[in-house]
Amino acid sequence: MEQIVFGIGITALAGALATVAGSAEDTESNIGSQGDPNSQVQLAPQMGFVHRIFNKAVAGEPPAYGLWCALGAGLAWAFLAMQINAVLAIVLGSLLAVFVQGVYATTAYLGRTASLSKFGQPVYVDILKSMTTVAMAHAFVAIFCTVTICYLINVALGHPFPLPLLGFIWGITLGAAGSATGNPYYGKERQYQNQKFGAGVPISASGNIVRYAEAGERNSLDNGFFTSKFGGPASGLCFGLIVFLELWRTVVFDKLSPGWGAIIVGILIILIFTIVDRYIEVWARKNYGPYTAPVKEAAP
Amino acid sequence: MTAVAAKPAAGSAMNPTAMVIGVVMLIILLGIAYVVSPGLGLMALIGVVIGGVLIGFGVHFVPVGGAPAAMGQAPGIATGVAMLAAGAGLAGLFGGAWAADQGFVIAVITGGVGGGMMMAITCMMVNFVYVFGMGIPAASGKVAKDPITGDTQPEFKSQGTEGHGLPFVSFVGGVTGGILGGAGGTLIYLELLSLYQATLPTVLNASATQVLPIAVATAGIFAIGMFLVNAVLTAYNITGTIEGPHDPKFKRWPRAIVASAVASALCGLVAILIVTI
Repeated sequence: MEQIVFGIGITALAGALATVAGSAEDTESNIGSQGDPNSQVQLAPQMGFVHRIFNKAVAGEPPAYGLWCALGAGLAWAFLAMQINAVLAIVLGSLLAVFVQGVYATTAYLGRTASLSKFGQPVYVDILKSMTTVAMAHAFVAIFCTVTICYLINVALGHPFPLPLLGFIWGITLGAAGSATGNPYYGKERQYQNQKFGAGVPISASGNIVRYAEAGERNSLDNGFFTSKFGGPASGLCFGLIVFLELWRTVVFDKLSPGWGAIIVGILIILIFTIVDRYIEVWARKNYGPYTAPVKEAAP
Repeated sequence: MTAVAAKPAAGSAMNPTAMVIGVVMLIILLGIAYVVSPGLGLMALIGVVIGGVLIGFGVHFVPVGGAPAAMGQAPGIATGVAMLAAGAGLAGLFGGAWAADQGFVIAVITGGVGGGMMMAITCMMVNFVYVFGMGIPAASGKVAKDPITGDTQPEFKSQGTEGHGLPFVSFVGGVTGGILGGAGGTLIYLELLSLYQATLPTVLNASATQVLPIAVATAGIFAIGMFLVNAVLTAYNITGTIEGPHDPKFKRWPRAIVASAVASALCGLVAILIVTI
C-alpha cells in the first residue's frame, strides 16, 4: 500500500512536470517556428513578404527533442555515475543539452534565412541575438522537466530502460504531442491572424503571413507571447495527460490480476477520450457552420 | 495546382515484380538467420518481422495532415507521419517494456494500449484546439460522409480548403494506428530481449544478472531504430499525408507490408548477428 501511495505521488509530480515541459516545448518551437508552420515562414519571402520571424526548422520537433532530451538524460546519467548529486546532475545535463540546442538554432536560422537571400530576405543579427537566447531558455525548461520525469520513472518507479533511452522516448513523445497540439494554433491563429476566425486559411493566401505588430514589425517573441496563452498550455495538458495517465494506470492497477488491471483501465481511458472527442466534434457541428447549404442527394 | 490540391496519381498501383523480389529477399534473409542460429535467432527474426509489419500497417491508420493541417487547410494532425507514429509507438514500447516480466501476451497488449492512449489523448486535444481555440469544426476532404457516424462533411469545409480537424473516423484511425504501432514495437523489443538474455552471458562471459541492463538497453535501442525504419518507409508509401482508413491512399498498404517485412528482416538480422557470430 505504502509503495502504491509513493507511486501515486511520483506519478502526480511527473504529470505536473510534463505539463510544464509540454507548455515550454510548444512556446520554444513557436518562437523558433520549428513546427509545420515553418513552411509559411520559409514561403513568405518567396511570395514577396519579407519578415522578421525566426526560423530554425531543419528538423521536426520530435527528433529534435528526442536528441536534446537523450543528450540531457545521457549526460545526467554520466554525472550520476560520477557520484554527483541527482538534482545537480540533471541541471548540468540539461544545461549542456541546451548549448547544443543553441548551436542548432543559430546555424539553422543562418542557413535557412541565408538560402532566401535571392528573394531579398535579410539575415537580422538582432533577431538572432534576441530570439536564440529566449528559445534556449524555454528549451531548458522543457529538457530539464523531461529529464527529471525520466529520472523519476527510472529510479523511483523502477522502469527497466536506462536514463538516456527514456530521455529519447519521452523526448520524441514530447515533440509529437507538442507539435500535434500546438502547431495549428500558431500556424492558423497567429501567422494568419488577418484571415477570418473560424475558418481554415484559403490555399490562395499561402505565404501572406502577418508581418506587422501594434508597433513596428512583428517578431517571434510576439508569436511566443501569443501562443503561450492557449497553444502552449494545451500542448502542456496533452503531454501531461499522456505521462500522468500512462504512469497512473501502471502504478495503481498493475497489481490487479497481474497486468490485466492496467490494460483494462487503459482501454477505459481510450473509450472516455473517444466519447469526449465525439462530444467536442458534435458540439462544433451544432455551434459552428455549416458554411454552405447541405448538398441534397440526387433522386434515384 | 498546389501541393494540397494535388491528388495522389502515381504510386497507387502495385508493382508485382517488386513485390515478388521483396518476398524472395525476405525468404533469403530468413534463410540466413536459419543457417546462423536455427532456433532462437530464427524465432526472434520472425517476431521482429511480424512486429515491423504491424508498425508499417499501423502507420497507415494515423491521420497526418503535415504543414497544410497547421493552417487549417487540410484535415489531420499537423505534424509528420513518422514523427507522430514514433511518438505513439514509443509511448507504447515504454509501457510494454515495463510489463515485460508479466508475460509475453500481457506485455504486447500493454504496449498496444499505451500507444492507443497516447493517440487518443493527442487526437482529442487536436480537436479541442481546432474547436475551442480556432472555432473550426472537423471536416474531411476525402469523403462526403463519415463512414462511422454518417455525418456529412462538405458543408463544414471552409472556403478554399481541403477540410480541417479530425472527423471521428480519423480519430478512430489514429487510436488503431497507435495500438498496432505500440504492440509491434513491444513485440520487437521482447523478441530481441529474450535472444540477448539467452546469448549475452556466453558472449560476454558474465552472469545473467550482469548482462540484463545491457540486454534491456540493446533490445530497446534496436526496437526504437526498427520503429523509425518502418514508420519512415510507410511515410514514403503514403507520400507524407493521409486522413486515415477512409483515405484512398490507405489502399496502398500491401506494398508497405512487403517493404516493412524486408526492412525489418534486414535490420533484425543485424541485431541477431551481433550476438551469434
